[in-house]
Amino acid sequence: MVSTTAATAATTSFVFPSTYNFPPFFTPQPNSTTRHSQLQKWSSLIQSWCRHHRTYRLSLVDAVDSPLFHNTALRKRLALAEARAVVDWMTKKEEEGGGGQRAEWIEAGGNTAPKIVAWIWWRRPEEWADVLVDWVDATGQKGVVLTVFELLQGEATVSQEFHGMDNDVMMKSLNVLVKRGKASVFGNEGEEGVKFF
Amino acid sequence: MRLDAAVDDLERWWSGTQVDSQGKYKIPDYQNGHAYLTSHRVCYVAAEEPRKFSVGIDLKEIDRAEYQKGKNDKSRSATASPAVSQQTSLLSVHPSSPRPQSVGPQQSSSPKPVNATWICPICSFSNPVPSNFDPATATAATHLPPCLACGIKPPFTTVLKAAISAATSRDPPLPNTATLPTENDNTHKNGSLSGPSGLAGSVSCPRCTFVNHPSLMECEICGAPLKVGGPSIQGDDTSRVDSPAPFFAQSRITNSEVTDSIKLSFREGGEKTFHERLKGALIQRKWLLQNAPPVPPPSQAGALPSGPAIAEPQPATPRATAVGIAGLEQRGLETRMNNQLVIGNAFEDLEALMASAKQIVALAETLARESGMTTNGGASAETNAVLSESAAALGMVTTKDMLSSGSENLYLSELSRDLAEYLTDDRKGVLQREGGIMSLIDLWAVFNRSRNGVELISPSDFQRAAELWEKLKLPVRLRRFKSGLLVVQRYDWSDEKTVRQLQEWMEELRCVPPDEAVPWDWTAFGRAVTAQEAAQRFKWSVGVAAEELEMAEDRGILCREEGIEGLRFWSNYLVA
Repeated sequence: MVSTTAATAATTSFVFPSTYNFPPFFTPQPNSTTRHSQLQKWSSLIQSWCRHHRTYRLSLVDAVDSPLFHNTALRKRLALAEARAVVDWMTKKEEEGGGGQRAEWIEAGGNTAPKIVAWIWWRRPEEWADVLVDWVDATGQKGVVLTVFELLQGEATVSQEFHGMDNDVMMKSLNVLVKRGKASVFGNEGEEGVKFF
Repeated sequence: MRLDAAVDDLERWWSGTQVDSQGKYKIPDYQNGHAYLTSHRVCYVAAEEPRKFSVGIDLKEIDRAEYQKGKNDKSRSATASPAVSQQTSLLSVHPSSPRPQSVGPQQSSSPKPVNATWICPICSFSNPVPSNFDPATATAATHLPPCLACGIKPPFTTVLKAAISAATSRDPPLPNTATLPTENDNTHKNGSLSGPSGLAGSVSCPRCTFVNHPSLMECEICGAPLKVGGPSIQGDDTSRVDSPAPFFAQSRITNSEVTDSIKLSFREGGEKTFHERLKGALIQRKWLLQNAPPVPPPSQAGALPSGPAIAEPQPATPRATAVGIAGLEQRGLETRMNNQLVIGNAFEDLEALMASAKQIVALAETLARESGMTTNGGASAETNAVLSESAAALGMVTTKDMLSSGSENLYLSELSRDLAEYLTDDRKGVLQREGGIMSLIDLWAVFNRSRNGVELISPSDFQRAAELWEKLKLPVRLRRFKSGLLVVQRYDWSDEKTVRQLQEWMEELRCVPPDEAVPWDWTAFGRAVTAQEAAQRFKWSVGVAAEELEMAEDRGILCREEGIEGLRFWSNYLVA
C-alpha cells in the first residue's frame, strides 16, 4: 500500500486562509447559502493544503488530527463525519450542487470501509494529462518511448509538478491521454512504458 | 350578562313627534356598533371610535321594551340580512345621565306610583303608600309606617294591593297610543288641562271625583293628591331639562325636547334574543339590589325618601342625631351595616361561581377516582393522556362562564381587544419591558396573573383571541417563528428592524476588544454572542432571543458556532 500522504515534506509552512481562524467555520451551517459558501471554502482549503503537501490521497482518519481539520489555536476541529460530508460534497459535480468533482472516494484496494480515503483532485487527471502533453511538446519528445518510472522519478522531470506523483494518478492521467489518442501505454504492471504521439 | 346581538343602528324617537315615523331621525355616528345588555344597562358601543360614540342607558330608566319586526326596510348596509332590520323600542324616561344626578328626587319620578293610597282597615283613613315602597321587592318584612290617623300598623297585603292597583291603573294609558309614558303628566303641566275631567280650569279628584279648583294640590274632600302640578312632577320635569342625554347634544337636532324612546335597529340579527333578554333583565331588576335601601332599622322610620341609601347616607334622614358614646356606637353600627350590604352584593355573583365550582370539583374528584382505579391495574400512558385531556376540558368549562356557544366569537374578539389594550397600555408597559416582543406563553401567564385568579383564560381561547389581532386591526401582532414559537409584537415591528439592531451590535463588538485574549482576529470577526447575551441586551426573553438570532441566521446575516460553550452566533463571514 502506498502511503496516503506523499513523502514530500513541506519546505515552507502552509498559509491557512483567514476563515480557518473563524470559529463558525468548523460548525456545519444550517442556512443553505451559508453552507454552500462554507463548503466551497473547505474545498479550496483542502485542495491547496494537498497541493502544498503534494498529497493525492487523503485519509480522513489521519487527516482529522492534522492541522488541516484541527485548529489547535482555536481548539476547534472538523469531526470525521463532517469532514466526510465536505469531501462527499467535493466529489459531486457542480451541476448537482457539489464541488465540481474535486475529490473521488477510493472504494477498492486495501480500504474495505467506504469513504475513508479519497483522491483529492487539486488537478483532475484530465488536467494532469494536459500538463504532460505540454511538457512533451515543450521538450520535443513526441514519438519517444518513456517509462512511467522515468516520468515520475527521472532527472528530466525534477522541475515538473508531476515529479514524484502518485503512481495511480499518473496511470489515470495517461489513460486519459490514451482515450484521447495522444499516447499509448504498454508493458506489464509496474514496468509500463508510454509513447506520446 | 352579555349578549351577542350586533346592532348597526342606533336610532331614537323624539317626543315632540308622534310615533308615526314622521319624526324619525338617525343619529350620525351611531350607525354601526354593538349592543350590549348588562344586568344594569343597555349600552351601544360604536365599531369605530368606540371611545367617542358610545352611549348607555340604565335599565332602571327604561319603562318598557317593544319589539317591532322590520316595518321599515332600510337595508342600506350591504349585508344580505333578509330585511330583519328590526327595532326594539325602549320607551324610556331618562336616558342615562351622569350618575350622581340620578339620585334623589329624580328617582321618585320614575314609574313608581306617586298617588297610591291604602285604606286603613281599622279607621278607613286613606294613607299614602310610602314612596320607597316597591311592590316588586317588598316583603312581609319590609317596614311599614303605621296609619296616620289611628297609629295601627297596616297588614302588609293591604299596602301591597294598594300599590299594585295604583300601578296598574297608571299603566293602561301607556301602550302604543300616541301618548307616551309621561305624556299625561306633561300635558297637564302645559296648562291646557284637557285632562280626563274635560272641565276647563278644574280638576276632578281621581279618588272621589270631586271637582277641585285647579290651584289645589290635594282634593278638598278626601285629601288625595291631585295631578296638577304635583311637586314630584314638577321636579321630574326640571330635572329632565337639566340633564339631557349625553348623546343628545351630539346630534344636529336642537336639544330642546325630551327623548322618550330609543330605538335600536339590528342589521345582523340577534334582535329577538336581545329583546327577550332585555325583557328578562327588566323583570329581574337586578339594579334594585344595588340601590335598594338596607332593611331599615326601626329608628329610620318610613319617612326615609327613596333612593340609594348607600350613596345618600344618614345626614339626609330626619332622624334625631344621638350624641356622645351612644352616637358613636350608632354610627359604628351603621357603618357595619353598610359594609355588610356592600359585601353581600359583591358576593352574590361569587355564589353563582361557587355553585358551578362545586360541580367542577365533584367532576374532578370523579375523574381522580376513576384514574385511581386504573392505576391499581397499572397506570398506562394512555389513561394519563385521557386524564390530562379532560383536565384541559375542565379548564375550558370554567372560563366559558355565562357564555352560550353562539357568543363565542364575541367573547374572543372582546378578549382580543382587551389583550391589545393591556399590551399597549403605557402605564404597564408590558410589551416595552420585554423589548417589544414577548412569547405568547409569557403573556398568557402575565395576563392571567393580572386578573388575580378570576376569569382565567384558557390557553386555546387565548391563542384564538391573539390570532384575531390582525383581523381586528389592533396594534399588536401574533407571529410564529420557524420553530413554532408564538410571540407577540407590535404591528410595526419587523425582521428588518431586528436584523439592523443585530448588525449594529456586531459592528460594535468588532470595535471593542474582548475581555480575554482570543485566538482569532477580533478586529475582523468580532465576537460570538449567545442567546442569553442577546436577551440581556435587547431585553427579550431568552426564547425570543434565540428565535431572533436564528431568524437572522436564516437570512444569512449571522452564522453559528457549536461548541462546548453552547450555541453562539457570529456575524456571517463565511459568505464572501
